[in-house]
Amino acid sequence: MTCDDFQLRLTAYSLGELDQDELQAARDHVAGCNDCASRALLDRQLTALVRGSAVAAPAATRAAVLAAVRAEAGRADAPRPVRRRHWIALAAALLAAAAVVAAALLVVPAPDPGSPLAAAWSSYHARGKNGLGSPTEAQADRLFAVLGPASRTPDLADFGLRKDGWEARDLAGHLAAVAEYRDAEGGRVTLMRWRGDLPPMPSGSDGDELAAYRWGRHTSYWWRAEGVVWCLVGTIDQERLYKIAEHLGGESEEGAPG
Amino acid sequence: MDLEGFEAATVPHMNALYDAALRLAGDHATAQDLTQETYLRALRSFGTFQPGSNSRAWLLRIQYNLFCTQYRRGRRMPLIWLDEGEADPSLDLPSHEPGPEEQTVRELDREAVRRAIARLPEDFRMAVTLVDINGLTCAEAATVMDVPRGTILSRLHRARRRLEAILMPELGRVQADDL
Repeated sequence: MTCDDFQLRLTAYSLGELDQDELQAARDHVAGCNDCASRALLDRQLTALVRGSAVAAPAATRAAVLAAVRAEAGRADAPRPVRRRHWIALAAALLAAAAVVAAALLVVPAPDPGSPLAAAWSSYHARGKNGLGSPTEAQADRLFAVLGPASRTPDLADFGLRKDGWEARDLAGHLAAVAEYRDAEGGRVTLMRWRGDLPPMPSGSDGDELAAYRWGRHTSYWWRAEGVVWCLVGTIDQERLYKIAEHLGGESEEGAPG
Repeated sequence: MDLEGFEAATVPHMNALYDAALRLAGDHATAQDLTQETYLRALRSFGTFQPGSNSRAWLLRIQYNLFCTQYRRGRRMPLIWLDEGEADPSLDLPSHEPGPEEQTVRELDREAVRRAIARLPEDFRMAVTLVDINGLTCAEAATVMDVPRGTILSRLHRARRRLEAILMPELGRVQADDL
């Protein structure tokens, strides 16, 4: 084996992935070639460097994943029916235990491809690493023309959320206003609004009611006010997101143009 | 549903899944989302898992497919590494007992290594993540990424040469210490 041959096989040699004949030839070569022996050492050290950079899952992540898995397993064993709530009932529900809220959520594995649910899900995942930017003036004007006051980005500071940007997006063929928020712990909330119909809910309902979907640990709340669909998605705790949905739901009805 | 069996087969690999997710997605929040979605998908398809096969490779394949189909679009290169302070120190990092070389380099700047890996093209980065970090064989990594084994070897080879170039000062320091 020449030095060139060895260099070509260096990675496979370091990984122990050479077949027996090649391995023996490589060993023989290294035994008599200081340059290639140094290269092999360097490759082992590089592997050790790379391996040493492994990152363990944070304890909070482990806990969240395990909780989601156990909840999912529980639901699979004992599926629960969907529950819908009217706005009046929402206020009462807030006073009830958070468990009641949790039980009311419909759990689905993923939205159907091509549906507005899937479009919202994709939009939720499509943000950049630094959050959203801001629309051009022309885009902002167009959003206002289409959505009216619903195009504005609501202030959610009272819920511990700071604005992290907003932009205009095409969402399932609709011009949508998308706003993103973050809390101090890095939790993320995305608010999407577009003019159209509320996506079909599993219960077959539409209208100005709050519907909830959950994808994994993502909870999303949906409602429609004055022809505008609102979708609130987030990774923050469910009860807090629910309060925000209720707050925005009331505001969207009061603030819509007559 | 065999929750106990599922957890026994998969929970020991959560560090590996999170590490791979972080290297793919580049930020903690998305990595956690991706890890959790992977586990939920794995739970739903646990009936298809072959007992005795490599459950880490099975999970990583689910995760990689999930990333490619639902997370990749619009993503930019990861360069954000969050504080690891909340990691549970009682939990082992994925794979491998530390050897003499690994002991030697532990004092090196792990952050520099992570950033160097993050600069690799996604296919190279994933090959390094699967084989060098998570201990999969090239054949297992090939199954995860749905490419021939030779492609994995080629990507690893090229990735290592790039990492060498970036990390040469650190590697040189290790070699000098060895003399």
